[in-house]
Amino acid sequence: MAEPQVQHFDTIVIGGGIAGLQSALDLADQGYRVAVVEKDASIGGKMIRLSKVFPTLDCASCITTPKMASAAHHENITLFTYCNVDGIVRMGEEIHARITQNPRYVDPDKCIGCRKCEYACPVYLPDMEQGGFSAKKAISIPFSNAIPQVAVLDAEHCMLCGQCETVCPTDAVDYFMEPETFTLTARTAVLSTGFELSPVKDKAQYGNGEIPNVIDSLQMERLLAPHGPYNRVLRPSDGMEPDSIAYVQCAGSRDKSMGVSYCSRVCCMYAIKQAMLLSGALPLADITIYYMDIRAFGKGYEQFYQNAKAMGIEFVKAKVARINEGDGGSVTVRYENQDGGGIQTMDHDLVVLSMGILPGWRPEPYCPVSTDSDRFITSIKPKISPVLTDMEGVFAAGAAAGPKDIVDTISESGSAAVEAAKYMQASEPILETQP
Amino acid sequence: MTNPNDKENKDDTHNGKVGVYICHCGGNISDHVDVDKVRDAAEDLSCVKVARTNMFMCSDPGQNMIIEDLENGEVDRVVVASCAPSLHETTFRSAVERAGANPFVYEHANIREQVSWVHHGDPATDKASTLVAAAAAKAENLEPLHPVRVDAFRHATVIGAGIAGMKTAVDIARQGIDVALVEKTTQPGGRLNTLHTLAPDGEKAGDVVDAFYEEIQNSERITVYPNTQVNDVKGYVGNFTLTLATDGENGRADTTVDTGAIVMATGSQSYTPFNGEYAYGEHPQVITLPELIQTLAENSGDENTLTVNGKKIRNMVMIHCVGSRRIPGIHETKEDANLNEYCSRTCCSAVLHAGNFIRETFPGTSIFDMYRDIRTYGRGQEELYNRAAENRVVFMRFEADAPPRVESSDTGNFPLSVTVSDGLTFNEEMTVPADLVVLATGVEPTDISGIAGMLKLPRGNDGFLNEVHPKLRPVELPVTGVFLAGTCQAPMDSSEACNTAGAAAAKVSALLGKGYIELDPFVAHVDEEKCTGTGACVDACLVDDALELVETEVAGQTVKKARVTAALCQGCGACVAVCPENAIEVNGWTLKQYEAMVDAIAAA
Amino acid sequence: MTPTGNSGNQDKILILATETCAYPGADSTGQAHSSYPANTYILRVRAPVLFPESFYLDCFQKGISGIIIMSCGEECPYEGAYKDLAKRVDRVYAAMKEKGLDINRLRLTAICTVCNRAFLNEVNRMNDLVQELGPPQFAATA
Repeated sequence: MAEPQVQHFDTIVIGGGIAGLQSALDLADQGYRVAVVEKDASIGGKMIRLSKVFPTLDCASCITTPKMASAAHHENITLFTYCNVDGIVRMGEEIHARITQNPRYVDPDKCIGCRKCEYACPVYLPDMEQGGFSAKKAISIPFSNAIPQVAVLDAEHCMLCGQCETVCPTDAVDYFMEPETFTLTARTAVLSTGFELSPVKDKAQYGNGEIPNVIDSLQMERLLAPHGPYNRVLRPSDGMEPDSIAYVQCAGSRDKSMGVSYCSRVCCMYAIKQAMLLSGALPLADITIYYMDIRAFGKGYEQFYQNAKAMGIEFVKAKVARINEGDGGSVTVRYENQDGGGIQTMDHDLVVLSMGILPGWRPEPYCPVSTDSDRFITSIKPKISPVLTDMEGVFAAGAAAGPKDIVDTISESGSAAVEAAKYMQASEPILETQP
Repeated sequence: MTNPNDKENKDDTHNGKVGVYICHCGGNISDHVDVDKVRDAAEDLSCVKVARTNMFMCSDPGQNMIIEDLENGEVDRVVVASCAPSLHETTFRSAVERAGANPFVYEHANIREQVSWVHHGDPATDKASTLVAAAAAKAENLEPLHPVRVDAFRHATVIGAGIAGMKTAVDIARQGIDVALVEKTTQPGGRLNTLHTLAPDGEKAGDVVDAFYEEIQNSERITVYPNTQVNDVKGYVGNFTLTLATDGENGRADTTVDTGAIVMATGSQSYTPFNGEYAYGEHPQVITLPELIQTLAENSGDENTLTVNGKKIRNMVMIHCVGSRRIPGIHETKEDANLNEYCSRTCCSAVLHAGNFIRETFPGTSIFDMYRDIRTYGRGQEELYNRAAENRVVFMRFEADAPPRVESSDTGNFPLSVTVSDGLTFNEEMTVPADLVVLATGVEPTDISGIAGMLKLPRGNDGFLNEVHPKLRPVELPVTGVFLAGTCQAPMDSSEACNTAGAAAAKVSALLGKGYIELDPFVAHVDEEKCTGTGACVDACLVDDALELVETEVAGQTVKKARVTAALCQGCGACVAVCPENAIEVNGWTLKQYEAMVDAIAAA
Repeated sequence: MTPTGNSGNQDKILILATETCAYPGADSTGQAHSSYPANTYILRVRAPVLFPESFYLDCFQKGISGIIIMSCGEECPYEGAYKDLAKRVDRVYAAMKEKGLDINRLRLTAICTVCNRAFLNEVNRMNDLVQELGPPQFAATA
């Protein structure tokens, strides 16, 4: 299906995670026409991949899916998934975004999401949507609650056996699909490009990601998720139910050696949350959190932390110096106990690294918006309107403008929406006549 | 059971074709409830035409099952058994609507929060089946309903003119909506008026206030009401009428304001330590952080050493978490029997910001910082912490159950000594002689019992306003048309307060932008054929003018009938209980529906 | 659908829970995964003032063993409704006495959105009572 070469909107939202969806919904509800551009094959961002969320312990899917569905069905919102942004520039009164639609090798207009292709495909790949712990097929729907429900073919691993094409009831599979480029224009843009975890492989003291039972926190989210890879919490190397689980806080933050000197803001709370979920899933397991400072600052967070302590989760004020592979799949943690005791070691069955938050997208060279020394997008008025960037008509929301939890992301996204609306009202007031 | 009003039965009988959709919730439900058994039981119900299950009913494939069945005409009433209706009732109503059906032919069965999360095994499955049967019984009796459309004032009222209130007012006004900005003190600015520079970047608080103040003064759409409080609230979303009481030179004057939405931006205040808390009130050299900030503005900066209360400060101790992060069983409760268990969020950065300023301006003043956890979480805040270490601020860490002891001292010539068991040096007991002790006092909400009572707004034990849901509806209060912004919700810094203000402004703009609002159709409805004009319902009605008796012609005779003013009706049903003829019902919540549900439960 | 008698589990407790307070309170109890007896059936109501006296008596007649009205109490969003409700419940008590029903089978209480403990207390107390009393027995057929 060929997109028209140029499509016009009021606002282009870059990033279809919770930040982008909230900004898009708040603008669309005011009558503005919004394009949401998402690099993944589904909207929903990091949040839809989480298990449960602090401090209410609502399942992440329950909170994210309504917003995903509202955005997908909103008459003023158009979704562009599986798209790259090649450039965002201002041309006179307009923002122009050059977009490349990556080929799914499945026609989204024809695909009915029946998964027959997925069942037929003989190629198994690690499913990164499940932390790499389980397998998926080379052609598949990205994940169960993905929007849109359209299969994607992994061209790199497909062996062109033709089985998917044969079984597809709607002839949607197209091995010859090419990338397509098109342009979106709008009066404003919201950059809600989110975050990535700092990579474990950059941390030599913690084993460069090569110790089998050392995982990162997003992998643990999948182990805990109701529709996770094992449907229960098992350690990856041998499928054993872990009796002793440790969290290493600030594993990729407050650490100049990683180039991340800032606090990643969410790791304390997600570690506590995961620890609470683990103690529910594995009531007999010992859970230890090695931390420098517990930063439970949001509404209800401190109480959440105190509850975790009362539940018996052990908090050890310590800086973890080294992590080594131990015997029988165990992991040896060597740490400096800051409450006395000096250098100590402890073996755990499973260790979770609370990795830090890095920006999910670097504007340079795609977009002339400035970033700070922390590489997140610069706010030119951090006190009165944190969403303002130094590019006219362009606003930033969520983790793109610094690490942020979901609650703070959602309010910031509303704020970005209102700033975009203000900008459009000022340039071309629609006041009373607005529908 | 048979209905006593058998003669009417024919008229009221529906041949509802109910579709039942049961959600696994990815194991949240199906781990405890045998979802297939529930489906089988539903299939056996006479009114149920289709019963299906799905891993996630809220996902698109789940919703599409409903849509397909409705579009194919297989069903015309829908029941989804899933999580609490607060999460997904609207999701499924809109799915029904997308299928071209009326969204109110939908009934929700709550089998997660009220079944699978609280019961296990067969009783959980049985109860889920019963609740589904009850929901199906109600669904069979559901009628299509249409929203009540009311005109709305394109005007909003913001209560509180601190930074959150100012930002909300400006953002709403720029969308072409008029704003009344109500402030109880003489001028806008709120707590920023008491601050010096702001952490972490050091902007002048006054400049931040001025940035909004000028626009507020010049905006044709914003009317500021200083020295004013809200005295009375009437009406409903889109059509509130507020009585504002303004104190002036000639006494109090009342103003009436018609407004479509209300934003609570009532802010917070600094915690006041009780007498003797860390020797506060007992010793003049024990002050709070806000008091220190006031004195910073008075210090010239020419000296090598900070001066407070006329005394040179050689050693200064700053103590964190005063009036915050209290733990039941360790800390004493306040007079109102509450503990401030929450973290006040802003104090760590504020302490370090003030500490850096002092160390960099008055190098002769040494600082000892006694903390539990340093919470420099935000952008630019960790740098404050690192800079404080570079500035040779001495950090000492204490546990909640072993707080520092502040005592009058006669050692040397220091008036105070502070003793703490320092977790950073193997819990060694250290005593620091001090000229000044600064208490980093927490944040408490402003007393808003008056307005919160008038509007019936929910507050937590800590007195902060509670939003509907922290992620789904973070700036909305349960009273439709009432929103919140800033620190009346929880402690937050200026940036965060401005973000919630923007978010609230976005919601208000979407609500009032069209000039009309669609309200739930759950209002009283009179069956004129049954109504005999007894007036019992009018007497029972709790709202002025929502119900009245009017004269009407029936077969040439003038008779009295009850009439509902839908926009005023709250849908409480006080009228329903008293009608001797069962002639009045609340749409969507009829007595007949409830009786059907009880029958289904009793039959299980 | 005509019920075929109380063949299933006995001693059912009907809970009328207000949608602004008690119903979310029950959800909050669920979110905390606090277990309670499964013979409890929660109906979401806007305001229990909707139900006439006869509704309660009919419920007992149908075999419901206990009813808890979980209102908003003083937090009631409908001004005056709670007072009216309390008066009505008193009239129901009088009718129950007349029919030889233990009036403890009907209880009016207030539950807030986060009143998990109060919710559990009420449910457990009523359950203890109905287990002891068994199904309702009317002194004379109504």
